[in-house]
Amino acid sequence: MSFPIVVLVASFLILLVLNVPVAFCMGVAAMLSILVMGDLPTFMAVAHKIATGIDSFSLLAIPFFIFSGLLMGHGGIARRLIDFANVLVGRFRGGLAFVNILTCMLFGAISGSAAAAVSSVGGFMIPLMNKRGYEKNFNTAVTVTAATTGLLIPPSNVMIVYSLATGGIVSIAAIFMAGVLPGILVGLGLMLVAGIISIKNQYGQGEKATLVQGIKSFFSAVPALLLIAIVLGGILLGIFTATEASAVAVLYAFILAVFCYKEVKFNEIPKILLQCGVTTSVVFLLIGTSMAMSWVLAAENVPQDISAGLLSLTNNKYVLLFMINLILLAVGTFMDMTPAVLIFTPIFLPIVTGIGIHPVHFGIIMIMNLCIGLCTPPVGTCLFLGCGIGETTVTKVIPKILWFFVAMVVSLLICSYLPFLSLWLPDSLGLLK
Amino acid sequence: MTKLKNILDKCLEVLVMVSVAVLVIDVLWQVATRYGSKFSPWIKSFGSEGQFAAFLVKYTEGIQPSHWTDELATFLLIWVALLGSAVALGRGAHLGIDYFVGKLDDKVRIRTELFAFAVVALFSLLVMVFGGIGLVARTFELKQVSVSLNMPMGYVYLAVPISGAFLVLYSLIGFFERVSSAKQGGAA
Repeated sequence: MSFPIVVLVASFLILLVLNVPVAFCMGVAAMLSILVMGDLPTFMAVAHKIATGIDSFSLLAIPFFIFSGLLMGHGGIARRLIDFANVLVGRFRGGLAFVNILTCMLFGAISGSAAAAVSSVGGFMIPLMNKRGYEKNFNTAVTVTAATTGLLIPPSNVMIVYSLATGGIVSIAAIFMAGVLPGILVGLGLMLVAGIISIKNQYGQGEKATLVQGIKSFFSAVPALLLIAIVLGGILLGIFTATEASAVAVLYAFILAVFCYKEVKFNEIPKILLQCGVTTSVVFLLIGTSMAMSWVLAAENVPQDISAGLLSLTNNKYVLLFMINLILLAVGTFMDMTPAVLIFTPIFLPIVTGIGIHPVHFGIIMIMNLCIGLCTPPVGTCLFLGCGIGETTVTKVIPKILWFFVAMVVSLLICSYLPFLSLWLPDSLGLLK
Repeated sequence: MTKLKNILDKCLEVLVMVSVAVLVIDVLWQVATRYGSKFSPWIKSFGSEGQFAAFLVKYTEGIQPSHWTDELATFLLIWVALLGSAVALGRGAHLGIDYFVGKLDDKVRIRTELFAFAVVALFSLLVMVFGGIGLVARTFELKQVSVSLNMPMGYVYLAVPISGAFLVLYSLIGFFERVSSAKQGGAA
């Protein structure tokens, strides 16, 4: 390891532990390491990396998907999706757990935010499940884990970040489509676990829905679900680019939330605009400073060094993939998703493509790993949010969540070692280069 | 100081809100003009001579797919993202890892918070303000202009030092808020 890299890693870790915002940890680490490299006007070089890092039309999709997600979240779609899911899967034993998982999958996809899924879906489903005799910590565990599936089912902002971090090797459309089957697989895995636990504990049976109810809930939920169809269909048919699709999604969500569902008032719009702006800039500052840090890492040949180090341990593709999975799982437990994707994609991508793993496939593996990290202490946004909403504590939820982790890890291993699960859909749509 | 922060907040918030709204309209305009330009040939292809068709053709014939919208959008995005990050700092919205610090007792924790604000202020001053000014000066010198709007890129990168200044201001406000709350906490 060269001296600038020692400075970079040490300063980054120290600042991170001291709760300096991650974006600034990366900025300062990049700044100090360029300073010791010594052959560049340091401050200007970092400022330049930040400015050019966020100067990209395709990144515009991020604020727009955040915006449409906020509109849909405020627009009362959670309740409509719950009604709809109830008709589909509510009748089985443990029905409400299935309803919870299915709603999280749909809502997470539409809103693009796991945290929003926990608060919107969990805020309604956890109390309801408590009342129907499901155990509180089980309900929280279901919500927390299911909420992450929406990050795999498109549209998904973290996938746009990944596409950017690969330097455009992976198109947004390709990674979007690649996430569909793995996302459904995780959802089914969680349902399997929830079903077994529900049968064992004799949790309640949901009521059977009548045909009229079914039709009614279908038509009430379909406009919300159409958002996914418009975005994916529009991109796949070449009607618009991913960025344009996201702007159309904003228009659609706006019309739906304000005029059709009438749950967002006009005077709430400025607040939503601001929230969108703030969330966007948090992500973008991360992107900007991570570009500076990645530049240092690349200039000092870090990916090559790590690659050589890993390859000296083994050159078996499957063992390597397993080790990378372990590293990413560990990273996910203490780091949020966006910074983790931005930091580790440029490091691991050359390694995995070197051993013959497709960049699109690797994106799915990485996001699945980090999804598990969202539900684990010490840093797990979904877990802590869910515990707050479920009015319980992390220590009480952990025993209940363990089996759901098993489901997630098994799905992760399946997706790691069966690349066609991720690649078949984008490949058959002609999205892979 | 709270008063200053409130005024700052309001100004920046309004700027961010308006820019996000303009961004959405801008990109929608891009989609609309691209399909609008195909509209009149499409109507004509039916060969109808009716008044309504003539009316539609008349008003859509001149539409050209717009070329400046994506450039405007990326410029606005840079400004929104950087100005917004100052607002986000004021609201404590930037992601950090509070796990280790949360384990410390209050006194030490407040010191680490002060340290974090100092780091942010220093970085913003050195890189964003000084580095940013250098960047802007150099792009003006090199006379870099954007392709379709012909705008000097210096104006775009101006977002870096300006938002840097706001970041410095917000981190100082945050720093002194902690100091005074620590004093009050000590008295209580």
